[in-house]
Amino acid sequence: MSEHRAVVVDGVSKVFNRGTPRQVEALVDIDLTVGGGEFVSLIGPSGCGKSTLLRLVANLIEPSTGEVLVAGKDAPRARLDQEYGMAFQQAGLFDWRSVARNVELPLELKGWDGSRRRRRALEMLQLVKLTDFADHKPWQLSGGMQQRVAIARALAAHPRLLLMDEPFGALDEMTREHMQAELLRICAETETSVVFVTHSIPEAVYLSDRVVVMSPRPGRITEIIDVDLGPSRTVETREDASYFKKITEVREALRAGEDDRETEAVVAEERSSR
Amino acid sequence: MIRRVALFLGSLLVVAAIWELYKLIGPEAGGTVFGARLLPRAQDSAMPHVWDMLSRFGDPERRGSDRANWRVVLAAAWFSFRLALAGFAIGTLLGMGLAMVMARFKVVERGLLPYLVMSQTVPLIALAPLVATWGGKVQVGEWVWPRWMSAAVLGAFLAFFPVAVGALRGFASAPAASVELMRSYAATWRATFLKLSFPASVPYLVPALKLAATSSVIGVVVAEISTALRGGIGRLIVEYAQQSTGDPTKLFTAIFGAAALGLLMAGLVSCFEYVMMRNRPRPEEDERALDTIRREALA
Ligand SMILES: Nc1ncnc2c1ncn2[C@@H]1O[C@H](COP(=O)(O)OP(=O)(O)OP(=O)(O)O)[C@@H](O)[C@H]1O
Ligand SMILES: [Mg+2]
Repeated sequence: MSEHRAVVVDGVSKVFNRGTPRQVEALVDIDLTVGGGEFVSLIGPSGCGKSTLLRLVANLIEPSTGEVLVAGKDAPRARLDQEYGMAFQQAGLFDWRSVARNVELPLELKGWDGSRRRRRALEMLQLVKLTDFADHKPWQLSGGMQQRVAIARALAAHPRLLLMDEPFGALDEMTREHMQAELLRICAETETSVVFVTHSIPEAVYLSDRVVVMSPRPGRITEIIDVDLGPSRTVETREDASYFKKITEVREALRAGEDDRETEAVVAEERSSR
Repeated sequence: MIRRVALFLGSLLVVAAIWELYKLIGPEAGGTVFGARLLPRAQDSAMPHVWDMLSRFGDPERRGSDRANWRVVLAAAWFSFRLALAGFAIGTLLGMGLAMVMARFKVVERGLLPYLVMSQTVPLIALAPLVATWGGKVQVGEWVWPRWMSAAVLGAFLAFFPVAVGALRGFASAPAASVELMRSYAATWRATFLKLSFPASVPYLVPALKLAATSSVIGVVVAEISTALRGGIGRLIVEYAQQSTGDPTKLFTAIFGAAALGLLMAGLVSCFEYVMMRNRPRPEEDERALDTIRREALA
């Protein structure tokens, strides 16, 4: 049954530096399920634990409590089996490799032979419109172009699950819209599931089947909003009334998270003054 | 490249000019400044004319000999160069090996690094005769420890340290995000080392190797002198120094030989640098990027 679920996060908490003065409760009691082929966005103010949640799913860090399953396996097994592709907040390209060879990196580690690697890398670069720059070095590219290379690298091995941490943050508006459309197309074609971190409400609404709204200190999920904009989103979708309605809904959910915190702060203050 | 060569030749001319100028105005018998003997003697026996030193290369090595002096100096420099190269190679391999083990096992780093630092405080002069003695006892089957090997080992002793420290810092210089990326690919330590840590270390390795190259020359020359190894430039300097009352310019030909040797080693590493760094962003570009970041941070 869990085969249909790309990600299951069950009762997960994460505390950094436990028992030290720098202890941080980054995440508390997170339950989240991402179905096969589903696109889920995480949104919330800075420091609410979005990246932490993503890194837990990627098994780059271990949860303090709770369980993470990816493709029906526990997270460490899934990482070893290369069940996901990842794009980080920073491009993180290797200076000494050409653009194409950067995209080839995950394929190299999988043991693909040279010509097959090269072909796939060029395919991916075409997708992000960087074919002409295949033999350039990353540091000869602009920040936005570098980010597109990183996305091509994340997609290169055609993973069933994509974990993306603000991948489009550095792009200009036009490229951003183009990349969003491409990402949706690729995911629909290959039935890839996505967990997508963003700061942009319109982006979250446009891309997602569900938007997960989080609030900080401690990081938790305050609301999960279903977005149903239909299977094929076009340019018109961005001008549709239902689109704007969802944007408002997410914005209000975000604000509610903030208000909760303010109330809590007031209560705590009253308590301490008593 | 051409500019750098021209700059180098130009600087040589400037040094020669200053030398001659001092001879012109400096005190013949040396001088004292506020009671301290600071000014060197400008007379020909202590500071020969530049052209006398250069022409000495063409004269016979000693009276009655038919070998020109430059041949003797060149042969000695070549001898020492090979030793220094051997020392440099051994030191680089050793340094890289140690750095790899230290990078792999943090325990080893904590345990070993202090000793490596300490090893460099042992005076070479004290170590040289010891190594020569130990070497003399080494015999594996037919193979006997050649005497020159001691000098090469002492060159390696000085060379390995900057390589070990530079490589260790270089391996650790890979950004945390890149390390995580490799982890997300479930890459083995070996793959992570070959594809990330090692290439990331190159900008640290280049200056370390430069230092190691010149250190190996110093190690070899000092070892030649303190183990009385014949054939190299170190021995020649001692020999010519003993003859310098009668033939002061001869000593300088040997010193020039030693300088040329150091330059040759440095040149070799520069070639390596060119090959390794040609695909990297230039430091100036990094600087410029940093500048922009700083300016943005201030704004
Ligand atoms: N390795 C770490 N050690 C200690 N604390 C950490 C670590 N990583 C994250 N944190 C803390 O956990 C909290 C959540 O961080 P996280 O990076 O997940 O936030 P985020 O939602 O991704 O923020 P942003 O939108 O700014 O990227 C922060 O308070 C942060 O200081
Ligand atoms: Mg983040």
